[in-house]
Amino acid sequence: MTEPYAVPVPSGYRVGAWEVRAPIATGAFGSVYEGRRTGGAGDLPRVAALKFLPTGTDTPRQLAHLRELVEREIDLYRRLTRPRLIRMYETLVVDDPARPRLDGATVLVLERAQRSLADLLSAAPRPAAGPALLAQICEGLAQLHHAGWVHGDLKPANVLLMPDGSARLADFNMAAELEGTHAYTPAFSTPDYTPPELLWAEIGERGRRIRPSADVWAFGVLAHLLLTGSFPLPGGTPSARRDAAAAYARGHDELRLAPQLPDAWREIVRDCLARTHADRIGTDALLRRVEAAAGTGRSPKLPRAPLPRRRRAVLALVSAAATVAVAALGYGISTWADSGTTGGASTSGKSTSATYGASELRTDKGIPVQYRRLIVDSAHDCLQHEVSPALIAAMLKTESNFDPGLSDPTAGGEGEYGIARWTPSVLRWWIRSDGIPAKKTPQPPLTPAQSIPAMARYLCFMEPRLETSLPGDRRILIAASYRTSYKKVNAAGGVLPQTRAYTVRVAHYLKEYTPPVKK
Amino acid sequence: MYSIIVVPPTTTEDERDRTQLRLAPGERITFGRLARDNDLAIAHDGVSRRAGAITAQGAFWTLSNLSGGQTYVVENPEGAGEHIKVGPGRLDAPVPFEFSRIVLPAAGDLLPIQVWAPRHDYLRTEGGLAGDTTAPAFSVDRTKRYFAVLAALCEPRLRGEPHAPLPTVDQVVDRLRPNWPAASRTSVQWNIDYLAVKLRLKPGPEEADTGPRLNGKKESLVSLALRFDLVREDDLIVLTAAPTGRVAR
Repeated sequence: MTEPYAVPVPSGYRVGAWEVRAPIATGAFGSVYEGRRTGGAGDLPRVAALKFLPTGTDTPRQLAHLRELVEREIDLYRRLTRPRLIRMYETLVVDDPARPRLDGATVLVLERAQRSLADLLSAAPRPAAGPALLAQICEGLAQLHHAGWVHGDLKPANVLLMPDGSARLADFNMAAELEGTHAYTPAFSTPDYTPPELLWAEIGERGRRIRPSADVWAFGVLAHLLLTGSFPLPGGTPSARRDAAAAYARGHDELRLAPQLPDAWREIVRDCLARTHADRIGTDALLRRVEAAAGTGRSPKLPRAPLPRRRRAVLALVSAAATVAVAALGYGISTWADSGTTGGASTSGKSTSATYGASELRTDKGIPVQYRRLIVDSAHDCLQHEVSPALIAAMLKTESNFDPGLSDPTAGGEGEYGIARWTPSVLRWWIRSDGIPAKKTPQPPLTPAQSIPAMARYLCFMEPRLETSLPGDRRILIAASYRTSYKKVNAAGGVLPQTRAYTVRVAHYLKEYTPPVKK
Repeated sequence: MYSIIVVPPTTTEDERDRTQLRLAPGERITFGRLARDNDLAIAHDGVSRRAGAITAQGAFWTLSNLSGGQTYVVENPEGAGEHIKVGPGRLDAPVPFEFSRIVLPAAGDLLPIQVWAPRHDYLRTEGGLAGDTTAPAFSVDRTKRYFAVLAALCEPRLRGEPHAPLPTVDQVVDRLRPNWPAASRTSVQWNIDYLAVKLRLKPGPEEADTGPRLNGKKESLVSLALRFDLVREDDLIVLTAAPTGRVAR
């Protein structure tokens, strides 16, 4: 089948230091050509893959969403260089008014791979190198997830094979950076690799909410395909398999994996294809098991994310005792295992916003409905059970009376802003969910969507740093630390006199917002 | 994960907001006179005790006629009289329409059960291929009225004013009337509600607040449609008057 090239570029065309050669592939959004360097800087390779994306103003269809997809991909490439991810050398924009279809196109200069996993599979299903490739693909996923990103479109066409036969992940148009436990991706997907909870999922104005477990599902499908030559769910067409996935997720059908799947892999695929995202195996534990099954050496241990924010691992601990040891190994959370009881408090995603998290946060005390989800989800992202929705709500009430537009330019040295009364230069350290400080100090106005999760992260950071010998309610000590710092609270041996009035109010609202019967 | 929505008939005036039933692929509901035997009770003496069953099959659905002697007609309300007949005793007759009205003949009254199939897939202009291609999560039928409504809502912004106020429902009615003489506030509003279901619009947090909810819905629809290019400038042609042969009356 010949497909029209999304962006036709004549052979020999020059863009930057590159001369366009033979076409490599074309996808839903752009076309990839081989490029040969004709000059330019010596640190660039001689050959590269040139990905042309039709972002020009005069392209036949002005695709607004395409620009967003391109920005996503470039953003990820700029910020992430990992051994198992395809590298980007530079980006160029075509400036050629004589060719309106090309003018303005964005060109990504990428590492040149030999072929894609899809090519390999169509030439030779069930390759002998399957297990080793899976280990490398899983390593790529772990690198991506550790950096706080979700791929969102893992499939054979997006796994590239290098001349030495090793695999790297590519095509990050759908990739998204995690915000807490979720990321938002554009509403595109490849049906055979889409987890059931995202089939016909609700779509908000920011796109579709996706979790790293979506990549884990896709990995399970990919592993089954690579090792057996067939999809794990039955059906002759993608839509039949989609219905099978839906029936399986609702519990109407069992998972029947191909009999030729080796036992070790059967368990792995089964844990990737768990019905619900919460039951799916975490990426780190998955990587260890995939490496063991593939018989490859362990990859170097990945650095831990700087902030404890891996609630999903705790849920896995609670729900599947068997994975405790592995998950603890991966995330280093064994010391928190006894605080895992908070996992039971997670609320159903189906509840409406007015009653969202009602078991932990009263609904009749005037907490503005539009912030409930942010408050509850932000608190849940923290493993310290003291950082509860009620504490965050009580602090927001005390700080700003839930006023997102609060502006107090005279407070402190540089002013305090927004619903959580952030000092912008402090917020900078907590505004990003992956724990990396923002490049620039955020400027007011500070939105609740920035302020509230950041507050939870900061509280979550301070809680373990407050000495356990301090007298009084730890939650109040946390609140006092937010006003001053944990060091000052530790040094003073408790709440400082100047924050006493503040903590009295927090304690009052904390009591008021906490539902009467605990669980 | 539902793919089919069943909207029960309104048997009395004050029962306007009966719950819609959502079926996932493979799920089945039965309907008939008695609430005891059926998932959907239609309290009308002219309806059989066990009148029929609706089964969601992927993106489409099937109808079983369990009555003793009545033929059910499934109409396509936008199909200019297009309909299928399902005779008594016929099991699992497939219904291809995105919108359907099952008309149950009941002692002189006609009781319509509406069934929507909002997940029908359509070929995209890019020439969507097999299941391996990355595909947008929406699929709209550009010949349906809801598409004309969406186009009318998006029109001011597509004409180059990114922050233009959205047309009111009345303005949309006026805009669509040349091609759709029967357009009314209610029918346009119905299509807006249907679009919100079809595009799986997530109620925004601000919608829980007070304020004009309807406006929030229109606003969300338009921003979603423009963001994902569901309606493009060249689609506005659906708003221009059709060739004379097709204009009603």
